[in-house]
Amino acid sequence: MTELNDLFTAVADMQEDTAMELTRKYLDKGVPAVEVFECYQSALEEIGRRFEQQIYFIPELIMSGEMMKASAEILKPYLADQAKDDAEGQKKLGRILIATVEGDIHDIGKNIVSMLMDLNGLEVKDIGVDVPADKIIAEARAFGADVIGLSGLLTLAFDPMKAVVEKLAEQGLRDQIKVLIGGGQMDERVCEYVGADAFVTDAVHGVNYVKGWLGESVQS
Amino acid sequence: MIIIGEKINGTRKKVSAAIQERDSDFIQALAKSQAEAGSHFLDVNAGTSPEREADDMAWLVDTIQAVTELPLCLDSANPKALKAGLERVDKTPVINSVSGEKPRIEGVLPLALEYKTGLILLALDDETGIAGTAAGRMAVVHRLVNMAREGGLKEDQLFVDPLVTAISTGDKNALITYDSIRAVREAYPQAHITCGLSNISFGMPLRSLINQTFMCMCIYLGLDSAIIDPNNRDLTGVMLAAEMLMGRDKFCQNFSRAYRAGRIGPKKNS
Repeated sequence: MTELNDLFTAVADMQEDTAMELTRKYLDKGVPAVEVFECYQSALEEIGRRFEQQIYFIPELIMSGEMMKASAEILKPYLADQAKDDAEGQKKLGRILIATVEGDIHDIGKNIVSMLMDLNGLEVKDIGVDVPADKIIAEARAFGADVIGLSGLLTLAFDPMKAVVEKLAEQGLRDQIKVLIGGGQMDERVCEYVGADAFVTDAVHGVNYVKGWLGESVQS
Repeated sequence: MIIIGEKINGTRKKVSAAIQERDSDFIQALAKSQAEAGSHFLDVNAGTSPEREADDMAWLVDTIQAVTELPLCLDSANPKALKAGLERVDKTPVINSVSGEKPRIEGVLPLALEYKTGLILLALDDETGIAGTAAGRMAVVHRLVNMAREGGLKEDQLFVDPLVTAISTGDKNALITYDSIRAVREAYPQAHITCGLSNISFGMPLRSLINQTFMCMCIYLGLDSAIIDPNNRDLTGVMLAAEMLMGRDKFCQNFSRAYRAGRIGPKKNS
């Protein structure tokens, strides 16, 4: 991993061309694809830290997603004949179902969250905007979700969020599925009103929560 | 420019607390300072839960009208809250807002037609949400303008909001708004065009710099109204300068008057 420092720096510093060049170089030299992939993962964590420190902003998060996609194209053939299973193993952190609740059609925040969750090794199912509570729960059940992420920008979204949590409880699913709510209006009071496990106002915090929850349960 | 003062909005924490506690001094101070800063309308958004929103709206309207004669911009998607406001206003208000979404067409539009109010039209609907092209947004605008006109509203009572999405999430997002503004101006020369400008800078540093620059560009293309904080002297200064440079300020008097009144430019030491 130490020898991949320059790749780590290129990704973390948003030098896309250099990053792609280095990715190809290391793969040609025989560095295992999984190691290259892990380097990207840790660079992604660094990007998240810089976002929290307000060195980076939303464009960098989106650009890091583009870089991850581009690198995946390069990595794919190598993963096929190498340790594909190992890399797949990375993908099994857990499952999150994401939706914007009924009555709200905002999707920008939700889409960024979906992208970042995916990049951070979660299996993501994004079922869109204006989704009724019953549908969210049915989809979560079918998907085997560990976490439900509910997005909403308007204050009108509070009651539909609350409905999802209540219906989860009615169906006896509440202690199996964590609920994370996200959006510009979220705060402690809303979180309590809705009965969610946590609230976030930005995507990176959302990823941190979910990784924390699933990390615990995977290890135990 | 028609300035709609945005500060009496219950989704802001302090305002929300003032509404809950019926702190009329706080609300009236906001109303007065926005009026003095040159607002033409004051936005009123109770931002509270549906069951108490009508009461809160009624209280806000009475409280604000006790200290200013400015017309109001009743901001809600809840027909009951709007009705409570409409029954109390002294001057013809603007309703904020109708969109192509079914509940708004069924719940909000009829009130605007009945009370013959001004009306903000949002270029989105429940099929596509916010379209990613100017043509997509214009399809919604045409539909809404037709409904409003057929219902008896005049074109100059309409405020079209072509919508602004964050530049941080798509580097062509401002262009979509420019193209939409241009298209609205061409199709409906009498209609006003308004925007929540600050969405443009969501997720970016130095937001006010971005907001000011964006506003200039929008004014050049035909924006003639904005929902803003009128007490933000930098933004107001840029707005007045842009209006003047568009040939819409006779003998530069709006700009000069604002300067003499100390509303724009660096603060003088008194």
